[in-house]
Amino acid sequence: MKDPTPRAMIGRAARAPKAESPGREAWRMFRRNIPAVCGLLILICIVLAVLYGTLFYGGDPFEIVWAPHEPPGVTPEFPLGTDYLGRNILAGLLAGGGPTLAVGAAAAVITMGIGISLGALAGYFGGWVDNLLMRITEFFQVLPALLFAMVLVTLFSPSLWTIAIAIGVVSWPQTARLTRAEFLKIKQLEYVTAARAIGAQDGRIMWTVILPNAAPPLIVSATLTVGVAILFEAGLSFLGLGDPNVMSWGLMIGANRDYILDAWWPVTFPGLAIFLTVFAVSLIGDGLNDAFNPKLRSR
Amino acid sequence: MSLLEIDALKVTFQTRHGAVTALDGVSLTLNAQETLCVVGESGCGKSITALSTMGLIPMPPGRIVGGAIRLNSEDLTKASEARMRALRGAEIAMIFQEPMTSLNPVFTVGDQIAEAILLHQDVTRDAAWNAAVALLDRVGIPSAAERAKAYPHELSGGMRQRVMIAMAVSCRPKVLIADEPTTALDVTVQAQIFDLLNEIQRDFGAAILMITHDMGAVSEMADRVAVMYAGRVIEEGLADDVLDHPRHPYTRGLIGCIPSLDHAGALKEIPGVVPPLHLLGEGCSFAERCDFARQTCRARQPVLRGAAHRVACFGAQEGWA
Amino acid sequence: MGSFLARRIFYGALLMLGVVVLNFFLIRLAPGDPAVVIAGEMGGATEEVLEAIRIDYGLDKPLPVQLGIYLGNVLRGDLGESFFFNQPVVDLIGQRIGPTILLVVAAQVLSIVVGIFLGVLAARKPNGAMSAFVSVFATIGYAVPVFWTGIMLIILFASVLPVFPVEGMSSVKLREAAWYIKVLDVLHHLVLPAVTLAVIYLAQYARLSRASMLEVLGADYIRTARAKGAKERTVLFRHALRNAALPILTVAGLQFGNLISGALLVETVFNWPGMGRLAFDSILRRDYPTIMGVLFFASAMVVVANILTDLSYRLADPRLRGRA
Repeated sequence: MKDPTPRAMIGRAARAPKAESPGREAWRMFRRNIPAVCGLLILICIVLAVLYGTLFYGGDPFEIVWAPHEPPGVTPEFPLGTDYLGRNILAGLLAGGGPTLAVGAAAAVITMGIGISLGALAGYFGGWVDNLLMRITEFFQVLPALLFAMVLVTLFSPSLWTIAIAIGVVSWPQTARLTRAEFLKIKQLEYVTAARAIGAQDGRIMWTVILPNAAPPLIVSATLTVGVAILFEAGLSFLGLGDPNVMSWGLMIGANRDYILDAWWPVTFPGLAIFLTVFAVSLIGDGLNDAFNPKLRSR
Repeated sequence: MSLLEIDALKVTFQTRHGAVTALDGVSLTLNAQETLCVVGESGCGKSITALSTMGLIPMPPGRIVGGAIRLNSEDLTKASEARMRALRGAEIAMIFQEPMTSLNPVFTVGDQIAEAILLHQDVTRDAAWNAAVALLDRVGIPSAAERAKAYPHELSGGMRQRVMIAMAVSCRPKVLIADEPTTALDVTVQAQIFDLLNEIQRDFGAAILMITHDMGAVSEMADRVAVMYAGRVIEEGLADDVLDHPRHPYTRGLIGCIPSLDHAGALKEIPGVVPPLHLLGEGCSFAERCDFARQTCRARQPVLRGAAHRVACFGAQEGWA
Repeated sequence: MGSFLARRIFYGALLMLGVVVLNFFLIRLAPGDPAVVIAGEMGGATEEVLEAIRIDYGLDKPLPVQLGIYLGNVLRGDLGESFFFNQPVVDLIGQRIGPTILLVVAAQVLSIVVGIFLGVLAARKPNGAMSAFVSVFATIGYAVPVFWTGIMLIILFASVLPVFPVEGMSSVKLREAAWYIKVLDVLHHLVLPAVTLAVIYLAQYARLSRASMLEVLGADYIRTARAKGAKERTVLFRHALRNAALPILTVAGLQFGNLISGALLVETVFNWPGMGRLAFDSILRRDYPTIMGVLFFASAMVVVANILTDLSYRLADPRLRGRA
């Protein structure tokens, strides 16, 4: 199915008389996708829990409050039990989610920022700009991402910001490639030629004409990037490269790693929390993909 | 008795509008060594007829709900999948519309022809390869031994269609189905392919069932013609009769579409399009586009009538259209 | 083909040169005296050691000269000295690169073979149970942190089902055993780490090969194969898979870097004596020469894997062969 009407014309959006805006239509499709809606609900619950949970429950997640390795479901005060030092696991989950999600989101923004900028420049201008930027992209793809991020974090001392920046610096190449491919495709369409014909400048064409039309795959990619970034942050924290003064899910697993054969719960619950979050995010990503993908619409 | 008999074949497809009848009682006969052309616009059911005969309509969504396809009296609609595999390529072979995409890009053309031979004949790989080279030579590919080692992308469209023909006739099938074999090709190449098909038919003794929408192709190839519209055969007869004296208004429209030097610039078009199959009503499915349509046309379905030259049209049967 | 390979290797060498230059500047970008950074916090940074480093790396000379010295050292195979392990970095990595390659290649092969198999099964019935399983499995596999999968498997196999060793690469008690017993022992130890690492990618390959097969199965040449009378199995595995494998190959090449990142975590979890474990140990000790050496060799593995991918791609797709 071809959509002959460009999603945005130069400057003001001059759409063909259509009952629905593309965003609205996508949302309608998304709502019908049960797994995606479930993912959204799970994510909302998790975000609410980590934002407001600590107001009602927990306190300092680093504080030793009970005997070590109290199994879950034994003491009502600590429904998920305690870890090897006797710290409250549920309190850790509620407090540790915030940094995990924040770093994931910030890293995704940085990834998309770098990736979209470089990909757009490469795809739009082509020629030597494209060549140069793609060589740089290939270079970054050669470096194993986690290892490179570990090096960066270690060199510049771990904090939430250095972690987010490190993740962003190592993960942008895929976004850049995707953006470039979209720009290459869209810049040949008639409405871009039309915009050029009426004298629009390159910057204006790139950001107000091409980018909005390239948005659907980029939105999907951004969603999935959040999931990858969360996994990344968890991996770094697990290796002990997170900010040691901030509780996070990865840190909880890393700290309790040596005692897994004595107590399964201190590593299982944070892992489940990471899994559930990334799972929800990827359900949303898949749902968005289906909602934006015209080929699947008729089904 | 005919070689191939398609008898009141009814095929439906499951769509989101429910089950749609793609073929509604199609009957065709193909005699040994003759060429029958099935013509009609896209969507009229020509290709479904061909694929049904090959047992290649995707099921689901497709389903044969009635009728029979008899090859030498054996009903193919009731044949097992194993039996169909044994027949396909050996007794009935098919040439497709798109030579550019119908050959597997990762195998050499020689391999692909040899594979067809190995599937049906008990010969060695070497013998099959040699046979493939001989076939390539036979269909007019120069330096065939070299070209057999070529990959499809290294050949032109016309060459690829020759390869397809070589593959199709490799096991000397009795029935050769050609689905728009020249549509994707240049006009000059088209003529060469028609010549080749005629030669092949003479040498190999195959009957050809050719699907086309091109009346020019019909005049080149056909002994007999069947015209299809919206899943039904609406006119059928000897090629000369149908081409020179078309009786159905639709056939007359189709023939009017042939560009010819005599009527330069007078290229006629039939107004309207084939109605979507799920919207077909009670009466003649052509009535909406027909200049002669009357009350009866919209109320009842005309059936094929006549002796040698048959037509399904009240107007033609009663003499007012 | 030959000139293609030569160009590809030359380009790979350029990329590796880039990695060396990056390493050089990363050390200088780090806050503090580069000599102290190189010695590492745990290196017992006495004044003599620092002085030796300054001379070795030419740290009193201008930056371009320093870069020249560093490049020269790398070209001679000298990636510096680990002040924690008291060994040349190249030797350290030499001892550990084998286990890492074993783990990564095992996981790659396992995930591709099983993934494609599941994907092909799923593609046969796009709305069937296998398809549903593949897409659910792929979504779950994508969302599970790989180190957590490893830990869960350790808990499972250490206590509940003790059939696979959960730590290390070989059993101490088999030190005197015959060589083939030792090989089997290593493979036995390999099972859990390789499965852990393979699961994520396996899920992705299954989903990808399902999609790719579905697309290919709709192609005209598949209909041609059926029209010849080919068996369904021949159609699937000979005609369709060769074509459907092309995008899988591309992704497998691109994934290799991620696979090495994953191996880093898996080696740490299972105490697998590879480069990942080495990276983890040296990062905890701020042993920069070792870390940089691991980054160099890990990147080199990706470069080699990419070249191999390109080569196999050209073997699999005749349309690319003639081109440069």
